[in-house]
Amino acid sequence: MTTYTICVFTENSIGLLNKITIIFTRRRINIESLTVSETERKGISRFTIVIKHEKREAVEKLVRQIRKIIEVLAVFGYLNEDIVYNEIALYKISTPLNGKSVDVETINKIYKAWVVYWGLDYVVIEKTGTETEIFDFFRYIKPHGIIEFVRSGRVAVCKTPQGLIEYLPEEITEWEYYL
Amino acid sequence: MGNLLEIELKQETLPAPAQEKEGHTFLSGAQAMMECLLAESVDTIFGYPGGAIMPTYDALYDYIDRINHILVRHEQGAGHAAQGFARVSGRTGVCLVTSGPGGTNLITPIADAIIDCTPLVCIVGQVKSNLLGTDAFQETDMIGVTTPVCKWNYQIIDPNEVPEIMAKAFFIAKSGKPGPVVIDFTRDSQAAKMTKPFVYKKVEKMVSYNPRVVPKQEQIEKAAELINKAKRPYILFGHGVLIADAVQELLDFVEKTDIPCASTLLGLSAMPNNHPNYMGWLGMHGMYSPNVMTDECDILIAVGMRFDDRVTGDSTKFAPQARIIHIEIDPSEVDKIKKAEAPVIGDAKEALKMLMPLVKKGDFTGWKNEFRKLDVKEYDKVTLRDLSQEGKIKMAEVVALLSDKTNGEACIVVDVGQHQMVTARYYQFKKANSFIASGGLGTMGFAIPASFGAKVGAPDREVVGIIGDGCFQMTIQELGTIAQSGLAVKMIILNNNFLGMVRQWQQLFYDNRYSFVELQNPDFITIARGFGIDGHTCSERENLSDSLDKMLDSKKAYLLEVIVEKEENVFPMVPAGTSVSEIRLE
Repeated sequence: MTTYTICVFTENSIGLLNKITIIFTRRRINIESLTVSETERKGISRFTIVIKHEKREAVEKLVRQIRKIIEVLAVFGYLNEDIVYNEIALYKISTPLNGKSVDVETINKIYKAWVVYWGLDYVVIEKTGTETEIFDFFRYIKPHGIIEFVRSGRVAVCKTPQGLIEYLPEEITEWEYYL
Repeated sequence: MGNLLEIELKQETLPAPAQEKEGHTFLSGAQAMMECLLAESVDTIFGYPGGAIMPTYDALYDYIDRINHILVRHEQGAGHAAQGFARVSGRTGVCLVTSGPGGTNLITPIADAIIDCTPLVCIVGQVKSNLLGTDAFQETDMIGVTTPVCKWNYQIIDPNEVPEIMAKAFFIAKSGKPGPVVIDFTRDSQAAKMTKPFVYKKVEKMVSYNPRVVPKQEQIEKAAELINKAKRPYILFGHGVLIADAVQELLDFVEKTDIPCASTLLGLSAMPNNHPNYMGWLGMHGMYSPNVMTDECDILIAVGMRFDDRVTGDSTKFAPQARIIHIEIDPSEVDKIKKAEAPVIGDAKEALKMLMPLVKKGDFTGWKNEFRKLDVKEYDKVTLRDLSQEGKIKMAEVVALLSDKTNGEACIVVDVGQHQMVTARYYQFKKANSFIASGGLGTMGFAIPASFGAKVGAPDREVVGIIGDGCFQMTIQELGTIAQSGLAVKMIILNNNFLGMVRQWQQLFYDNRYSFVELQNPDFITIARGFGIDGHTCSERENLSDSLDKMLDSKKAYLLEVIVEKEENVFPMVPAGTSVSEIRLE
């Protein structure tokens, strides 16, 4: 199984998530993670969808089929080496009175994670990184007692010098920047 | 380009408060819808009223002098009729139905239209927008339900959206690879007035959707190079040729290059059947030489076809030796089933026009003769038997006789099953857009509504529906539509008292275990008469010719029931999932 990251650029309209994901359903491809947000251009959304698949050919067909959706502007399928990517995770760790104290120095220096909230008898630690790094830290912090753990979908940009805009229809270069 | 920027701005500015001057009112959403139809030169729609679409039907009442509304008996009929209309005329078919069951009854035609690339605009009523998502009376999530089977859908909740969205709808339905568009029209947006004057601007381009019509020159050059080197080239053309109106271009191309060609089922009638380069049609029940020769050619030129599994059989064994040129408007079709060495993305008409000056004049007499040698084998084993005039009347002789009597110029609408395959085999098409069938979805019940839709789309042509006894009963209620609309549609039931194709499979592959395929049929002629349509039954061979004459001479709709051999099989046949080399002749 190879991991593929599929980036879909679309107009920002209602129901598009369904129109895209239904193609995965039809082809019986499970979505490992999915992230949606507006891009640097107003009105253009970016879907980052991670899947695992054995056949590159099938992924190419999937990409082309997604491109057929009317509101879709562009679709790219990437291998891990083509992209810079990250995820973010939050760990709610139990820190009861008289319990083992968390080693903030190791957390910061070794694991590049940060305590972002101190509760009365728990802390929330934030870590960004790849799936492997997030789970490495998970194993380290587990003995403290994990009350809750959540991991986001992947965000990714490709390793080419070009920007999104160069792949999109010409008209869009006139579109306003987001914010 | 203007359109999308405008849409973009629209999201920013909320609808301005009504600026109605005294004595001047803006159009309602429903009236705006009617104006959109006129702006798109729509003169005929097929529909069925109901609660959530009533404001639109009320608006239609003021437009009946300009828009001919055909009242069907079931929404499925409206959809297939619109398909028949679109297929024969090349125009976009329009349906108007209500919410809930009205919309869900339209799902089969929508699914049929997407797979057979038929341009439809389906306007479906929806509950008031404040009731959306509440399980209101006759509420169905039509956007959710139709997403996997339509080319585009959109829910209108503001009457001001109507012109812009309908312009997009008609553009999307007809352009590129055509398909069905669903407009979910909330009841309140039909009734409410627009807050600005109605302005209709046709869409010719969208930022996110702008299919390539003119192929890239380098793709054309690569294809031409392959064609010019070919020793045994072979053209397979499909529905795309008819959709692109490239019939003349294909003929010119074939005549210049002298390359033998064959059609897919839906490509039938794009090439006159008596043309010396036309070898027949291929596929599961297609003809012998067109199927077998896919294994012999060196260059395969696929024009507007998509290597459907009913064409290829086992696609891994389909023409493995051939280098493929694939002329196709939809980039996602290229390499989907068969890898193309020279893809040409674009409209078939443009592609063939651009290829013309680059290809050499050819002479493939020897190569064509190889096809003709195989034709003799098929004639001896299949055709002679089908037309033997022994025993009970056979489907083939009915179709062959009809073909003679109509000089191959009628518009033939078929349903799904044995009669469909026999018609494709024995009708000698001479005119384009003359074979209308549900190919991809294989929808039984297609033919009655599609044939009257075709008659509306081509009132001057003789339209003959050839229908099985099983299929006929799936949309039999549409006889009422035919009678009420006074459409002179001719229908032939080829009655074998069986679901013939399923029975054939059960005989050949399931050891003669006939599981629920025999029908107890009604008296079709009495039923037709009950609807006000005349007809008669023919069960003897000596009456067949007169019976067909009587049907064809009728100035009104007419139903001819022909009792045919019960257990006749259709050959040749490529059993499902095998390669074309395993084709059976008996």
